[in-house]
Amino acid sequence: MKTQKDFGSYGLRALVVGVLILISQPLIYLVLRASEKSGTDVIALLTRQKTLEVLGLTLALLCIVVAINVFLGTAIAAGLHYVRIPYPRLMFVSTILPLAIPSYVFTYTWIALIPSLQGLWAAAFILVLSTMPYMLLAVSISFARIDSGLIEVARSLGLSKFAVFTRVILPQVRRSISAGALLSGLYVLSDFGAVSLLNVETLTVSIQNLFKSSYDRSAASVIGLLLFLAAAIFVSLESVLKGRDYESRGAEGFQQRIRRVSNPPLSILTTAVLALYSLLAVALPFYVLISRYLQNPSAVAFSDLVTAALSTISVAAMGAFIAFLLSLPLAFLATQGASAFASVAEKVTLMAHALPGVVVGLALVSFGSRLGPLYQSVFLLAFAYAVLFLAKSVASSSAALNLVSPQLKEVAATLGKSKSSVTLHVVFPIALPNLALGVLLVFLTAMKELPATLMLRPTGMDTLATEIWSFAAISRFNEAAPYALLLVLIAAIPTFILTIPRTAQKESAQKETEKKVSYL
Amino acid sequence: MKKILVAVGAIAGALVIGGAVLGGMGANNATDEVKELTIYSGRSEEFIAPFFANWEKESGIKLNIRYGDSAELAAQILEEGKNSPADLFLSQDAGSLGAVSAAGLFKALPNSVAMQIENKYIAGDRTWVGVTGRARVFAYRPGAFSKLPQSVVDLTKPAYKDKFGIAPSNASFQAFVTALINQKGEKFAQQWLKEIKANGAKIFLKNSAIVEAIDKGEIDLGLVNHYYVWEVSEALGRKIDVEIGFFAPGDIGNLVNVSGVGIFATSQKNDAAIKLINYLTSEKTQIAFVEDTHEYSLISGVKSPEALPDLESIGAPQVDLGALENVQRTQDLLIRVGLL
Repeated sequence: MKTQKDFGSYGLRALVVGVLILISQPLIYLVLRASEKSGTDVIALLTRQKTLEVLGLTLALLCIVVAINVFLGTAIAAGLHYVRIPYPRLMFVSTILPLAIPSYVFTYTWIALIPSLQGLWAAAFILVLSTMPYMLLAVSISFARIDSGLIEVARSLGLSKFAVFTRVILPQVRRSISAGALLSGLYVLSDFGAVSLLNVETLTVSIQNLFKSSYDRSAASVIGLLLFLAAAIFVSLESVLKGRDYESRGAEGFQQRIRRVSNPPLSILTTAVLALYSLLAVALPFYVLISRYLQNPSAVAFSDLVTAALSTISVAAMGAFIAFLLSLPLAFLATQGASAFASVAEKVTLMAHALPGVVVGLALVSFGSRLGPLYQSVFLLAFAYAVLFLAKSVASSSAALNLVSPQLKEVAATLGKSKSSVTLHVVFPIALPNLALGVLLVFLTAMKELPATLMLRPTGMDTLATEIWSFAAISRFNEAAPYALLLVLIAAIPTFILTIPRTAQKESAQKETEKKVSYL
Repeated sequence: MKKILVAVGAIAGALVIGGAVLGGMGANNATDEVKELTIYSGRSEEFIAPFFANWEKESGIKLNIRYGDSAELAAQILEEGKNSPADLFLSQDAGSLGAVSAAGLFKALPNSVAMQIENKYIAGDRTWVGVTGRARVFAYRPGAFSKLPQSVVDLTKPAYKDKFGIAPSNASFQAFVTALINQKGEKFAQQWLKEIKANGAKIFLKNSAIVEAIDKGEIDLGLVNHYYVWEVSEALGRKIDVEIGFFAPGDIGNLVNVSGVGIFATSQKNDAAIKLINYLTSEKTQIAFVEDTHEYSLISGVKSPEALPDLESIGAPQVDLGALENVQRTQDLLIRVGLL
């Protein structure tokens, strides 16, 4: 199989390199700016006590949030799938809904409830609440596709339910757990909204402060590179932790639904945890937004709301589409089996994801301002979204592509089809629903983006996020509330779509593919 | 596979061409008559938009306005450099104007511009002119103290222990500390910051939060810009129990900072841009600023906001506003004493 090399794969590699160059613009910018400083200055900046403290705080926050997400998130996802609970669909939707709430809105609402909220633990609390859905989504997809045949075998061999979970189920979802950990960790590294409002100076806050306070873009860029380095280490650690690829056995195990455990204390505990999470992450923010909205002394300008909503949706959709186009070469590459090139490409994409909006924004201002009419056009803004969030679609698609049965590919290949033909006719149709999932995720995140939007939006264009910012900047939270509410409600739609079970779709896609294989 | 690659390429190409065409439609063809001006505004839309709308009506020139945070806009302008599509920059504070000016991106304004604005509120090289004045004051709850502070140094005394608030992460507080360093030296400033911290200064994120905390009775006094008292009252939609006090004349606590405006060296629309500056600095507009945003006019003789004493009699310290540009040293100091 490996001897088959067609010209497509060279073209593909060229395309992948092109995409990597495009999304590396922010990194190139950081390197260029940072190199304006002398070596001794750079070392002095990196080794000063303040930098070390900020780095320490960032890593502490990262570890706390990722650790809680991994343990609590896996437990919650397992509860959602394997424990008998009332309204499991509704429960699942309500645990994913926090994705619709931007971190700055989330934090504002919590500060409105508890004005003294600040510091490392408060930030960890808020970030766990808002990143947990990444974990739940990633892990749930795997749980839904677990090979139940293996579970039956394990049970018949006398393994306890707990042993089945730890020895049979967990190894199969390990990759998804690490994908969820990766997404939530990179989110923590690049978040500005929550940490800045809670007075926690992470690397991202430091970068923003340096850009703002001294107009010292070189110093900010040095710290930016430090952040990139931290992300690089985190991404490499993740790929060590996720371990060997688990070989999916194929389609035969998929049909059977896994029975839920009915154990009253466990059911009550699971329901209570799920309800508490939904209360903290969905109900309370909504309550604050709605009550603020009702307190709003001035009338809401309906036309402003509509215009801002339409711009938000259209630019975010364009960004998601560009991200989808850019992710295609990377996704195809990932289907062609593991290679050093593919792994480097994936890692670069992921690391770029840790760079905060302000860096991507300024980098595209720097390069984009030379592009004449393209500068401050919706296209450059949409491109910025694609650069910022490409990793989201790559992460979800590469996890999905790995679930495609290797036997299926082998069968197709032995029937004399080239690698790219297998990809196109066999792998791609199966992966399509999850590629779409990545697009939705980018769309959703782009709608909430603020710092790059402020810098790159066409002059005079308002999005819901910039409207929220412009009222919040002058403390008119009540007037910001209708915009925040609308943003959350619109974002809730793609969030809801993300929670629709795709097992049915997948099964039919899988079956169809099997038919195609037999025709080949 | 190849088909898909071709399709991807075609779509990407279409996007680029589409973008160029659409973007081109928005661009401004340089003609003899200026129809549009582009301005970056660090002043909030809520406060300044009605003034811009008025000018558009008066002049018949359309304004493309980009709102943002003053310092972030300054960073963006520095990054755009000579490629900036903007004609003017209106900033909330002198520091951001100073940074853009230091990079050589503003052009010097002729003496005929903003003639009524007093010279101390105009950059030495005339690269920017002040538009409105914003005084540092202390806000306090009436009746909370038998004797009000005469100097920022008084805040280190036991009478104020645990009773007052500051917003050290805020640009206006940092501009004040920068002025303090410039006037009395870093050692003095460090000692003062340490002592107010030891005296239980409560930390807030924003000026407005300080005013709200006074209204709620959480603290009795706070260091803020003067107009926040009205801003908070208007945001809450009711009267608040907070008053404005000034320190003794000449005290650095009475620093007057300005919002201001400059024209980019690359702008081809000098005349129209100057017209806009003259509008913003005209007596009529300045009177409206005072009424609407409760800021000070920089023209002598224009009434001060509400019942406040006028700019000349509040005893503002002598400060070079152009020297407030680099707050890095200030931030390092705030970090050293643990206030940031």
